[in-house]
Amino acid sequence: MTGSGDGHGVAAALECRGLEVAYGRDPVLAALDLRVERHEVLALLGPSGSGKSTLLYTVAGFIHPRSGEIAIDGRVVASAHTRIPPELRNVGLVFQNYALWPHLAAVETVAYPLRRRGVGVAEANRRAIELLERMSIGHLSERRPAEMSGGEQQRVGVARALAADASLYLFDEPTAHLDTALRAQLQHELAERRRMLGAAAVYATHDAGEALAVADRVALLRDGRVVQTGPPVQVYEQPVDVWAARLTGPASVLEGEVHHADGACVVVTLSGRTVRVAGGRTADAGARPDLLVRPDWTALGGDLNGIVSQLWYRGPHTDYRLDTPAGDVDVRATGPPAATVGQRVGWGLRRVWAVRRPPTEPAPA
Amino acid sequence: MGFPLLELFSAAAAEGWTNAARSLVGSGAATPVVNTLWTGAVVTAVAVAGGTAAAMTTERSAAPGRRWLRLGLLLPLIIPSFVAALSWAQAYGPAGLLDDVLGLAVPGVFGPFGVVAVLVIEALPLAYLAVASGLASRAEPDLERAARASGATAGQVFVTVTLPLLRPALAGAAALVFVTTVNAFGAPAILGLPARFPTVTTRIYSDLAFAASPAAFSRAVTLSAALVVLTLAVVGPADAAGLGRGAVRTAVPAGGGFTGTGARWPGVVGWAYVAAATALPLLALVLMALTRAVGVAPTPANWTLAHFTEALDGRTVAALGRSLGLAAVAATAVVALGGLLTALRHRRVGRALSTAAILSFAVPGTALAVAMLLAYGPWLRDTVALIAVAYVAKFWALGHRTVAAAADGLPADLPRAARMSGADSLTAVRTVVVPLLRPALGAAWLAVFLFGLHELTMSSLLYGPGSRTLAVVILNLAQLGDPTVTSALAVMLTALLVALATPLLVVLTGKR
Repeated sequence: MTGSGDGHGVAAALECRGLEVAYGRDPVLAALDLRVERHEVLALLGPSGSGKSTLLYTVAGFIHPRSGEIAIDGRVVASAHTRIPPELRNVGLVFQNYALWPHLAAVETVAYPLRRRGVGVAEANRRAIELLERMSIGHLSERRPAEMSGGEQQRVGVARALAADASLYLFDEPTAHLDTALRAQLQHELAERRRMLGAAAVYATHDAGEALAVADRVALLRDGRVVQTGPPVQVYEQPVDVWAARLTGPASVLEGEVHHADGACVVVTLSGRTVRVAGGRTADAGARPDLLVRPDWTALGGDLNGIVSQLWYRGPHTDYRLDTPAGDVDVRATGPPAATVGQRVGWGLRRVWAVRRPPTEPAPA
Repeated sequence: MGFPLLELFSAAAAEGWTNAARSLVGSGAATPVVNTLWTGAVVTAVAVAGGTAAAMTTERSAAPGRRWLRLGLLLPLIIPSFVAALSWAQAYGPAGLLDDVLGLAVPGVFGPFGVVAVLVIEALPLAYLAVASGLASRAEPDLERAARASGATAGQVFVTVTLPLLRPALAGAAALVFVTTVNAFGAPAILGLPARFPTVTTRIYSDLAFAASPAAFSRAVTLSAALVVLTLAVVGPADAAGLGRGAVRTAVPAGGGFTGTGARWPGVVGWAYVAAATALPLLALVLMALTRAVGVAPTPANWTLAHFTEALDGRTVAALGRSLGLAAVAATAVVALGGLLTALRHRRVGRALSTAAILSFAVPGTALAVAMLLAYGPWLRDTVALIAVAYVAKFWALGHRTVAAAADGLPADLPRAARMSGADSLTAVRTVVVPLLRPALGAAWLAVFLFGLHELTMSSLLYGPGSRTLAVVILNLAQLGDPTVTSALAVMLTALLVALATPLLVVLTGKR
């Protein structure tokens, strides 16, 4: 997915080629390639410290890469010879900590980018109030940041970015400091806004559920490198390794053998029993790989055996941890607990994904 | 503390306010008042502008060696005002280093220009610290980045975001600089008095030290009271407007790597300033102390340590011991008081006392000394104890502010967690609060100790034959006009101060 721009008819909304960024001697981004198509939302999923914010700040123009090149809408904005200042990159940025100016009211904050583009005070304020109303906080237009809740502040931050009318939006974990309900609501609103705008966006987050929900494509970032990119379903169902699997959602790692795999099916042996299920394997998986199993790929009741070691009732569903000869496996089933801890149960497997076992790591017990 | 000030104002009132006003206007008191006011205004404008530029350079530009530049900018804080003035005279005055080497003497080093220049150099670090901490606490880099991302140029960001956010810091810096400048004594005494350029503080000093007439004493009292009123009139509103209000924190500063501008010239200008304002004068002072005699070329062939041995006679050593002892006593008493006030800070009496402490720091040293003479003079005149009492009263706030700020920064849940783990309240303080406050207590002690060694304003008014401090000895030597021995003593005092203060400054500047 990270081909050069030449092969495509239209220039990408964002293209990073061989990006290297370092703070002092510590490399933060290493040989990073990334492409975001027009109208596309790319989720940048990585743990804290993986370089998400650094990448966004580099694209926005606050950090100059040591080497490599950044092009926005086909225009090179950063390279060995070019350094376009942030205000000329036509990028909107939503900050993790909102970054609202304490001395300005909401309407002044949102009018700020318009004023910088030469719009008159009255017109800028009118459009700012319109934007605030679209974010359903029109009634807070005279409030300063100290007088607003976190969710309201971040809506002002989003409205300010929208006012910039950019061709590319960067979201730096915009919901990280919001509680769960607010987070879901803001995600929903951002998705609505995006459909209306049709602009491209890069959405950094460490929350797998959020990344899979908001994005057209997900890029997994680890230690400043892109480990995998693909549509949400692909990165969830076909992770490149155990690390990528754990980053994108809950996953159990089982010991087994792969005998045969075609496009959609795989034949595996688990503790002496051979089953044919949906799924597949990575190209480098080998004959004795790690078998990744998502909780939703399993079911209670089946011809495999296990003992319930722990269980968590979560309302709509119940999570069971089963102690099986092939290793611990997490099973998710709808409804209240159907078994008790210590009970022997049967379970079934619908799908499995095989990845190469890391040479240094011992096999899961 | 309250008692001496009460004495000061009742003495001033006893003169009668009409008399007082007449003595301010007539009998040559008008000139020092006018001089004090205009130098205060000029120094405030220049130092705040310079301090802001310096803060933007070290905090927001890619200037090379920014950490060292911070140290260089803060260096004048360590150097006593009278040493800075002496070193300027040695560097730029007639027969100074520049005169020797290039045949160039800056006109007016003795006089208004020199006084203003040295006062700016003394005040710039204060403005710099206030603005830099304002930048750190209120103008987080993300707020400026947000403006850049909204289409503002670097210049527009400074005008529309950075400056408005810094307004309280700038107001606080201006008030602090004005008060410090108006109360300054060392520079006007060394560079102003010989040129017949008196300020309020030096006039009070000459009235008390040289003129023994009752009229001179009552004029000194009136001028002191006027100085207190002026200082409190500036500090009060500034404290209410800007300093007391907590900053609105919207964002945690993001990780490093941010550089506002790629330009390197601000760093060059900064270094040039440090070199011209502090480094070259100090070099001139050292050379003067090392060179055989005045008028001889300051080359290694003419170097000698004779002035140092001459400087270290019995009286100087005794004065040095007295200074060290006074500073240590004041530091210990102030830290103890600071801890006590911090413990009481949530009670009404504690709050009232802490306001008193801050006010007493704002009261000019000259006026405080006159008040001490009026109140305790009958019993303690010419004793070291009188100076010690004055030091504790003056520096009380230094210890209190440092310790209270550190205590406020301590999450309240930490001692609570200790209580939940079975510690009683005293044990919680001893095992959790005190260990965490130890750096602040140490810093407060060291700061007061340094200020005590610096102190000239009060001790020059309070000393007697047996209670001269090292600073007073240096001042008297400078007035007798022996530049080589004066320089040698000043170099030794500065070396001692730098050695003691460097760890403090490194900690102060190393955080970011």
